[in-house]
Amino acid sequence: MEALTLARIQFAANISFHILFPTVTIALGWVLLFFKLRFNATRDERWMDAYRFWVKVFALSFALGVVSGITMSFQFGTNWPGFMERVGNIAGPLLAYEILTAFFLEATFLGIMLFGFRRVPGWLHTLATFLVAFGTTMSAFWILVLNSWMHTPAGFEMRDGVAHATDWWAIVFTPSMPYRLAHMLIASGLTVAFLLAGMSAWRWLRGDRGPGVAAALRTGVVMAAVLAPTQLVVGDLHGLNTLEHQPAKVAAMEGNWETRPGVPLVLFAIPDEAARENRFEVAIPYGASLILKHDPQGVVPGLNDFRGEHPPVAPVFYAFRVMVGIGMLMIGFGLASAFFLWRRGELPHLLLHGLVAMTFAGWVATLAGWYVTEIGRQPWLVTGVLTTADAIGPVPAGSIGFTLAMYLVVYAGLLVAYVATLYRLARKGRVAEHVPGNAPVPQPA
Amino acid sequence: MTPFLSPEILSVTFAALMAAALLAYVVLDGYDLGVGLLLHMTEEEAERDRMVASIGPFWDANETWLVLAVGLMLVAFPMAHGMVLTALYLPVALMLVGLVLRGVAFEFRAKGAGPRDKRLWDLAFAGCSVLAAATQGWMLGRYVLGFAPGWGAQAFATLAAVGVACAYAFIGACWLIWRTEGALQRRAVAWARGLLWGVALGILAVSVATPLASARIMERWFEMPNLLLLAPLPLATFGLVWGLAALLRHMPLPGDALRRLPFCGAVGLFCLSFAGLAWSFFPYIVPERLTIWQAASAPESLTIILVGALFVLPVILAYTVLAWRIFGGKAMDLRYD
Repeated sequence: MEALTLARIQFAANISFHILFPTVTIALGWVLLFFKLRFNATRDERWMDAYRFWVKVFALSFALGVVSGITMSFQFGTNWPGFMERVGNIAGPLLAYEILTAFFLEATFLGIMLFGFRRVPGWLHTLATFLVAFGTTMSAFWILVLNSWMHTPAGFEMRDGVAHATDWWAIVFTPSMPYRLAHMLIASGLTVAFLLAGMSAWRWLRGDRGPGVAAALRTGVVMAAVLAPTQLVVGDLHGLNTLEHQPAKVAAMEGNWETRPGVPLVLFAIPDEAARENRFEVAIPYGASLILKHDPQGVVPGLNDFRGEHPPVAPVFYAFRVMVGIGMLMIGFGLASAFFLWRRGELPHLLLHGLVAMTFAGWVATLAGWYVTEIGRQPWLVTGVLTTADAIGPVPAGSIGFTLAMYLVVYAGLLVAYVATLYRLARKGRVAEHVPGNAPVPQPA
Repeated sequence: MTPFLSPEILSVTFAALMAAALLAYVVLDGYDLGVGLLLHMTEEEAERDRMVASIGPFWDANETWLVLAVGLMLVAFPMAHGMVLTALYLPVALMLVGLVLRGVAFEFRAKGAGPRDKRLWDLAFAGCSVLAAATQGWMLGRYVLGFAPGWGAQAFATLAAVGVACAYAFIGACWLIWRTEGALQRRAVAWARGLLWGVALGILAVSVATPLASARIMERWFEMPNLLLLAPLPLATFGLVWGLAALLRHMPLPGDALRRLPFCGAVGLFCLSFAGLAWSFFPYIVPERLTIWQAASAPESLTIILVGALFVLPVILAYTVLAWRIFGGKAMDLRYD
């Protein structure tokens, strides 16, 4: 394979592995703060039980996020030196602000949050929990600002082939930024909602029915019931925004080849880019026009308007269906679970098993969504400014291939170890609660 | 934002910030990695737990200094970032794998199932600390000789790898003298005594090789009046090594007196070595090829970073000090509750 393809696969592998863990920590930080505040207010041990279990998951996820993030900071230079040479004046300050306002904050207060419970006053421990959650969210903010700028660049001018900033306000608040940020934060919330609900359901089914497990299960279900329908609305708004600024991406997502009115909503098909048509298409008439234009006769742009400069269709098309499909499942599970909790106070067995199956659904949907938006941007790295091919460095394909294999082995191993450790913690959680002398200790004043 | 400093001064400011972040990283993660390097010097599991516990609350934040250093190079000197990191592509990748596995081994060893898992993650923790330290040293060796080709340069890089590993292990041992007590502390003193000589040899090797490799650096050090003005640097290094050797012969002292002093001495050695290198290479960011002025980003972009940094860095320092105060004193078992 050529160096460009390998460099792209390598970067995609690294960033896919990396995003799994921030997706957990961004929302889990706030959930931990919620547990801590509930405990502070009620002095009810169930919240502290939930906190103690999930803070371990947080610590593990955070460590994996940090170390895979360090890899990213190097790969900008090793894989894409052209990126910083061309748009470094914009990307640089945004990354610098992420490091300065987020990374140190979360890393330093994480130590206090994890190990400081007996060493600092209660308010300081709560403050540390807040600052860690705030730090992870700030980090998401800055990186999504940069990513959104790459999709819909604004506030700059080109001088001698190099981007120079003219308006920082416009650079930070690009047209796609609010939608992308909201979409990602809710995605993190949903990932954590189903992680909480799924792991707790698993413990519940194994007979581990302590008050902390029930509290986490309930929290996860309520989050899912609120966030999943919200995500449907926010995702739709994000799609409309993309239609305005990156119509070729939407055309690939919908699998629509010709610009025309009354475009159907393709539920399933096999897009054939060579023949420029869909095979085995199953579609709802007028659906796409209705969703995208709010009018059954609305004109929807097609891929043939962007010949030679639209993204590869099949991966965007399939990834979009995976994301939306899981989103629908999430809405179903979230609402059904909330209904049973509300009416009966407990979940039927079948639903508990369903939640266990959905434990990592948020990861799959988040990755699929990122594939839609990032592959959908190709062939551009920065829309209209820099192509991915122009950003590649001089490293030979052999070196990239070797390190790619090395990263893949490490990442596969770590992913297995991570999931295995989560379930091991869940099994141990029960033991810990029933050991005599392990009774909850009141918090120091 | 309108730049309020001239481009020349901005470049120097950012070079200084980057150097400071790199020095902070080398000192802070240096002791973390050093503790990892020393982990298998003891057979006792309780001692290993205590060693890992001593760095537990710190390693995350310590590693962030590397992100800041590399990030500053990325944002302030993007051309240098590309040149240096593509030249060091393979060692960087190996170092990253080392840092990744070292960091997660920390979590996994504590949350693993049985003693067999723990032993495996201990091995990963130690092995990857060695890998990260050695690749960092190797990169230093390649950088110092301007990425020169040939077997001599490779041999020198290997020597630098051993030197940096020794230096990290040394500062790690000094950290343990400060943070532990009893038998483990006595062992740490013995490790530090031996490692000090490795550190001294490493400093000597780099100090001899750099002027021999570059006429420019030779001139910079040995011309009058530089020779006299710079004389305090090697003399202070020599004095510090001698003083540390004398101190370590008598440690641990009654009442645990001077327990911090070896660590402070190690930090001093790191600073002196770093200052020597900085003097040799300034104003080059890629030795003999690219100066900081040639590599710098646009002044308006550097200015907006600088403004942010001036506000945020004091805050970072303040809460770092807070964390060090909270986790001051002897290391205890790590507990989440």
